[in-house]
Amino acid sequence: MILSRTWLADYVHLDAPTEEIVERLLMAGLNHESTTAHGADEAIEIEVTSNRPDWLGHIGVARELAVLFGRPLHVPDPRPAGTGPAAAESIAIEIRSPEICPFYCGRVIRGVRIGPSPPWLVERLATVGVATVNNVVDITNYVMLECGQPLHAFDLEKLRGGQIVVRRAVAGEAFTAINHKTYTLTDQMCVIADAERPVALAGVMGGADSEISDATTDILLESAQFAPLAVRAAARGLVLASGSSYRFERGPDPAAVDWASRRAVALIVELAGGSLAAGVVEAGALACSPATMQLRDSRAAEVLGVEVPGPRQREILMSLGFVQESSGAGASRWRAPSWRRDAWREIDLVEEIARIEGYDRVPEDQPIAARPVELSSRERAVRAVSEVLVAAGFCEAMTRSVVAEPLEKTQSPWSEAPPLVCQPALIRGADRLRRTLLPSLLEARAGTLAVGAPHGELFEIAHAYVPRTAAPPADLLAESPVEEPLLVSLVTAGEYLRAKGLAEAVLARLGIGAGRLPPGGDSCVEYRPFVSDLFVAGRAAEIVLHRRELQPARVGVVGEIAAVLLDAHSLIGPVAAFELRLDRLDFAIAEERRLVRPSDFPAVERDINLVVDEGVPWSGIAAAIHAAAGPLVEQCTLVQVWQDAERLGAGKKSVVVSLRLRSDSGTLSGDEAARVIDAVVAECGRRVGAVLR
Amino acid sequence: MAAVSLDAFLAEIEGLRAEASAALDAAADEAAVEGARVEFLGARSGRLKSIQKMLGGLAPADKPAAGKHFNDAKGAITALLTAAQARLAGGTTTAVEAIDVTLPGEPFRFGHLHPITQTIRRVQEIMARLGFESVTGPEVEDQWHNFEALAIGTEHPARDPLDNFYLAVARGADPLLLRSQTSTVQIRVMEQRKPPLRIVSLGRVYRPDTADATHYPMFHQVEGLLVEPGTTMAHLKSVLRFFASSFLGGDVKVRFRPSFFPFTEPSVEVDMEWGGRWIEMGGAGMVDPAVLEAVGYDPDAVTGFAFGLGVERIAARRYGVADIRDFYRNDVRFLEQF
Repeated sequence: MILSRTWLADYVHLDAPTEEIVERLLMAGLNHESTTAHGADEAIEIEVTSNRPDWLGHIGVARELAVLFGRPLHVPDPRPAGTGPAAAESIAIEIRSPEICPFYCGRVIRGVRIGPSPPWLVERLATVGVATVNNVVDITNYVMLECGQPLHAFDLEKLRGGQIVVRRAVAGEAFTAINHKTYTLTDQMCVIADAERPVALAGVMGGADSEISDATTDILLESAQFAPLAVRAAARGLVLASGSSYRFERGPDPAAVDWASRRAVALIVELAGGSLAAGVVEAGALACSPATMQLRDSRAAEVLGVEVPGPRQREILMSLGFVQESSGAGASRWRAPSWRRDAWREIDLVEEIARIEGYDRVPEDQPIAARPVELSSRERAVRAVSEVLVAAGFCEAMTRSVVAEPLEKTQSPWSEAPPLVCQPALIRGADRLRRTLLPSLLEARAGTLAVGAPHGELFEIAHAYVPRTAAPPADLLAESPVEEPLLVSLVTAGEYLRAKGLAEAVLARLGIGAGRLPPGGDSCVEYRPFVSDLFVAGRAAEIVLHRRELQPARVGVVGEIAAVLLDAHSLIGPVAAFELRLDRLDFAIAEERRLVRPSDFPAVERDINLVVDEGVPWSGIAAAIHAAAGPLVEQCTLVQVWQDAERLGAGKKSVVVSLRLRSDSGTLSGDEAARVIDAVVAECGRRVGAVLR
Repeated sequence: MAAVSLDAFLAEIEGLRAEASAALDAAADEAAVEGARVEFLGARSGRLKSIQKMLGGLAPADKPAAGKHFNDAKGAITALLTAAQARLAGGTTTAVEAIDVTLPGEPFRFGHLHPITQTIRRVQEIMARLGFESVTGPEVEDQWHNFEALAIGTEHPARDPLDNFYLAVARGADPLLLRSQTSTVQIRVMEQRKPPLRIVSLGRVYRPDTADATHYPMFHQVEGLLVEPGTTMAHLKSVLRFFASSFLGGDVKVRFRPSFFPFTEPSVEVDMEWGGRWIEMGGAGMVDPAVLEAVGYDPDAVTGFAFGLGVERIAARRYGVADIRDFYRNDVRFLEQF
């Protein structure tokens, strides 16, 4: 909204400099955008919040200034007299859809001379950035900018059948607006029609073939109320916003419907000649029911934390146009002015009192009582994980939650259902809610390497979005058809074991070990071969969580990125990645940590060289070792795996394992260590057919 | 018959060695070290020189052994001297080869948290000191939590399909959408718990803005909510002043300007004085009674306040980022600066 400084002065006399006026408006809720000189005038651009349509006219802002500066407000009250044949002889008005047009009134002016507007009018419109057309159209715009009520002038002779019908558009109906573009309407929109066709898109724009032209002599001046939703449907649906639609979407002052009509008629008669026909043609009933509300004497202080004396509260409300209907013990009753449909409750009155009294009176040294607070285990898990990855040299990325189709083509480890789609697209065709972060991270890695970054080691912690298929667990999201797993994902240069090592570090930080359920612990993970188009075949694993008394569940995947994906992003391999479900792992960080005191006794190191069939997995050997040696195994390290058909036999491999044995109750003797190793070898023999080399 | 026996020579050497060791260990300054050097290792009249002269008096068969002992002792005393000199010079006691200390160190690369994450954590930490607990909630929301419970009625422009990312999936009759604000989480928490309540909700939100230097269709919000009996705007202003002073450093002034949000009444814009200018930090207000009623609270029994901050905006200002799209380019050269 652009204001003219001199125009405001028509209604309220202000000697304060513009800067001060702007500052006072700012502190009353009218955000200042800019002030620019315009000849002798100044254009003041302000930002009006959607609850204050009364500020979309100069009078509304002048009214606020009158209150702020304690000056009287002067608003003209034109009462043009009608003469000659009654307006109703020229036009009949019918409202067929009162739900989208409660009230419509028309005045008829005959014998006008269309021509240019006088200089003062041209200048004012120019200051506020509105183009001039001709005197009648300029006046309708001027009055709208004065009081906030949009008007429309029809060339009366062009209206067929002497009739105005306000109705819903018929779906598919065509309409050519005064911008000479043709639009296809829907039944959500409201049209003004004559006996044959739409002549205006209600509240938005007039029609091309009934507009005021140089040849126009008789005018029908429309002033009406239209429902915000219908106007918005038309303005948004057709991308045809106007000053009129902007105001109707917010709801002008009902009292201005008639005022604006009279005001415009008076100006037209003055500036374009002609005479007003007797009477006003009206249809419907003006929707105007100002709210009344109670204000408890104590309420302002209870909400604001500062005392505003009762007389001052009354003074503020009355200056703003509120009317005190009654007052009793401890409370009073107020009626809102017609232009303040945003004010209908006690709290709205409290806000008005605060706004005018000024928020600088609200104290800023009011302490609040201390309260204990703790991080959730989810939050602690997020922090612990990012700590590990930052220490490991990774940068945290933030990629878009919604991606374009190519990034959602690959499988998700978390859902086989197709991705959810949003409308409109987030950005450039990205309309799929991702079900995994990995493709986005690959894209980010490719992007940063392409611009010459020193590395592309990235991780991200974010949600994915998957349609629920099974019955949801009982939690906050119980009823949502969408599940939002919280994922931590990572991409790194390297092979499978690089990513797996990082995943193991993250899991260890959360308190989850690999391999077996330890005697004191409640959970562990297992790595199982995993097949997905995300990863190279045979070089990926799913990470399965085992918890006591719970079904095993997939909590992560790790692997080497498939060549086709690397090619798609022009990445040089090998690139490895993992993705973990923090929402399924965060429980571990909440588990109590109890010290296991390190043993004071010396450790014994022993290497064993086992020969097994080449298909035997490490996990099988490790499980046998742990089963045989139990808690005496402090560390079990894989040293080397090699194959040699001549020395080991075909289909065999040698696995060299280094064991560090230690007891927490005494020094292990050589004999004891030898017995443990014998048991380990025997157990490996039983479980995986290993023989000592 | 030799003039000097081997035993006597060796005793002499060992005695000298012990004396030199004691003298050099005890030397407390450079002069003492130099004195010891002259006494024991002096080229003309040093005591080692004197002992060297005794070598000539030894039987020829004893000479090789005696020479070796002499050289060992000379080496040991020389090493002790070097160590004493190094000790006084503040160096190590073992002499090692000097290196070019300006050579580059062995590279060690650590990672970096995203500046948005760092900003969010900072806000969380400050608010935690005031007893605010961090909470999160779903990003795919229903219309009740994103609009209705927040007093955004069906006619409100904020619900327009063009202003939201609606999904083709519904709960009941209403399509779900990507949340447009984190106030949704406040509703969810209030539905679950009773006052007193202090929370900070945070996370990604989505609005269909064209991406430019100051807008991005996906961004982060942090919103605070406090609901306790007797809460006033004075508490809101005091908490925000505490926040601003902690976040920006120093005693930062806070200014309220009237504004409008459907879910707060009164509503204000919050300005903080930063670098001599008023900077818009976010919106705030007293929780609208309609919102309290929507979650089953009695607006006459409890009042509350809420405030929201745009994380990208404050991070951009804090780090001098002129184009907020940079936050989402994931350029490692950008990320490594924070």
